[in-house]
Amino acid sequence: MKVVEINEVSKTYHDTEVEVKAVNGVTLSFDKGDFAVIVGPSGSGKTTLLNLLGGLDQPTGGEIIVAGHRLSELRPSELIDFRMEHVGFVFQSYNLIPVLTAAENVGFIMNLQKWPKEKRKARTDEMLASVGLSDRHNSRPSQLSGGQQQRVAVARALAPRPEFILADEPTANLDSKSAESLLDIMEKLNREEQMTFIFSTHDVRVMKRARRVITLEDGRVVSDERTNQPA
Amino acid sequence: MITSLAWKNVWRNKTRSLTVIAAVTVGVFAGVFAMAAINSSIVQRIDAAVNEELAHIHVNNKEFRSSSDIQNFIQDPSAVITTLEKTPGVTDITGRVIVRGIASTSAGSAGVEITGIDIPKELEMFTLSEKLIPGTGSYFGADTKLNSAFIGEKLAKELYIIRYILTPEAFQSLETKGVPAAVIEKLKPLEGERFTTEKKLTESYTGLLSGKEVKDYGMNIKEAAWSYREGSSIILSFLDVNGHQTGAKFRISGIFRTNNDLFEAMSLFVPQDELRKLTGLEEGQYHRFIARLEEDDLTNKVTPVIREALPGLEVMSWKEIQTDLAMVTDYINQIYAIFMVIILAALAFGIVNTMLMSVLERTRELGMLSAIGMNRRRIFMMIMLESVFLSIVGGFAGMAVSAGVIAITSRTGINLIKYAEGMEAFGYSANLYPTIGADFFIMLTVMIVITGILSAIYPARKALQLNPVEALRGE
Repeated sequence: MKVVEINEVSKTYHDTEVEVKAVNGVTLSFDKGDFAVIVGPSGSGKTTLLNLLGGLDQPTGGEIIVAGHRLSELRPSELIDFRMEHVGFVFQSYNLIPVLTAAENVGFIMNLQKWPKEKRKARTDEMLASVGLSDRHNSRPSQLSGGQQQRVAVARALAPRPEFILADEPTANLDSKSAESLLDIMEKLNREEQMTFIFSTHDVRVMKRARRVITLEDGRVVSDERTNQPA
Repeated sequence: MITSLAWKNVWRNKTRSLTVIAAVTVGVFAGVFAMAAINSSIVQRIDAAVNEELAHIHVNNKEFRSSSDIQNFIQDPSAVITTLEKTPGVTDITGRVIVRGIASTSAGSAGVEITGIDIPKELEMFTLSEKLIPGTGSYFGADTKLNSAFIGEKLAKELYIIRYILTPEAFQSLETKGVPAAVIEKLKPLEGERFTTEKKLTESYTGLLSGKEVKDYGMNIKEAAWSYREGSSIILSFLDVNGHQTGAKFRISGIFRTNNDLFEAMSLFVPQDELRKLTGLEEGQYHRFIARLEEDDLTNKVTPVIREALPGLEVMSWKEIQTDLAMVTDYINQIYAIFMVIILAALAFGIVNTMLMSVLERTRELGMLSAIGMNRRRIFMMIMLESVFLSIVGGFAGMAVSAGVIAITSRTGINLIKYAEGMEAFGYSANLYPTIGADFFIMLTVMIVITGILSAIYPARKALQLNPVEALRGE
């Protein structure tokens, strides 16, 4: 079952009279349960493509369909609601809300979606347990290590059960042990919850775990390969 | 959730938030306390006007106020009495006989309004008798002899009934009041000397003391030297009903001291029957009826009712007689609101600055919030609540401090005796007992919330202009 379809998508920036084609005629699709990485050198268009998939940015050409929504037809306010309902984001710099506890950060999007309190609490507990932080409910981000913060960020992204997770360089700021631990968790959640993960990364540790590797160069897909990783 | 997040965001940078909260606290306190002090002055002035000088409603012949001819008495007093008695809200009525004349002593003279009063009734309706200066008489008490008068201190000074003498008792009084022995010593050459006016006394001791000593102890010296010879008399001259010059010697039955110099200088009260005998006015002839109401708020409602019932007479409320005071009373809340708007507008700039810094520091976080689905309305609401919380915490702290200080100073009073001369010339007391109504605090709370909301608009708009992609990129 297709979760995301991208048809001939382009994104051109006009910067100081120079036209930059960050994404150039990309056609891709992602199935439910995919664990895919987008790789490529700096400036190849990985982050731009991720932003387009997540509805953070609008393409200048082509079409993106997510869960039946044509993103180009959505107004800015509808795009925000779309992101809240359908997309989970994991950022390189964790981006937790510093004044909230780990549990409050995990429950934040569910709160925006107006989940009933009991249901929200149960799901928060479940997600913190999944990422191995059951004992850090009341810890503020500043009291957690980088790896723990990123695990809270993963729990926050997954908690409301979005269509897919977009993770932009999620391991870039983590040491090897934390990165491997985080990837273990993501793999587990991918299997257990059939959650679709799309990564943008330079990290070979992530590439090794991926079941699909898409390579971009100059905004174009130069390869799209399935790996031998078990589903 | 947005409310809780906004509250937590306020305390993210405690030093900065506490600084702006402290600014709001001080600003609100300064505004509220100044308002309370001004309000007390006005309340005391109104209280004096209603309870000592005017009561609520005056009824007199239409010509009387402009010409004050003795013949301009009320033609049908029983109709006035019946109307006033039947009017709901009226609690007391008294009739007065009023003539213009000259008060004189061997040393001076002054034009006065001589009012013949029904003493028991006046005691029920006015508190002027309580303004009697101790040692000057008994306000028509049992020891009062025929032809007695109750006069103001200002008039007594103009007639040189009051003198200034630095007696041994006066020096003793200065010592009790804490005036340094060195200052008292400097004043010794003036012992026993009589000064006919306050000005002459001041000129004398100014030559003996330093400028600072004059400033610090001048008022004490004047009070200690204040001297009145009990049993003094004045001559009152006026026209009788036939237009003939008449008059008599009146013994002072007491001197009153109010905060209204003009009232003190012009008003002189005598028993009504004595004035009738001298003027030839008959029993039942009155120049003015005065009515007192259950409460001051009824004034605007009751006055037109009486005016309609007595079309041939002039019916005026105290607000129409003292228009300047009435204007202040009627617009007092608007005046306070304007004053507070100016203070809060100044504070708003501080709040805007703080909120702007807070928003610009959180560019990445706000971008993230937008990315994960927090819509524009919620982001706007969050910034606005942060601003409102800053305003409210500072505002409530300011109001709490004000309430405390007002509670203390309303008992102890604030003595502005150095400015007494100027203030009393306009009828205002130099002793202020700050007071302010609960409705002012309610109005202020609303204004503080509005300030918080308005202060949030610009920073919140800045936050909404952030593009999540740009915001997340720019670290």
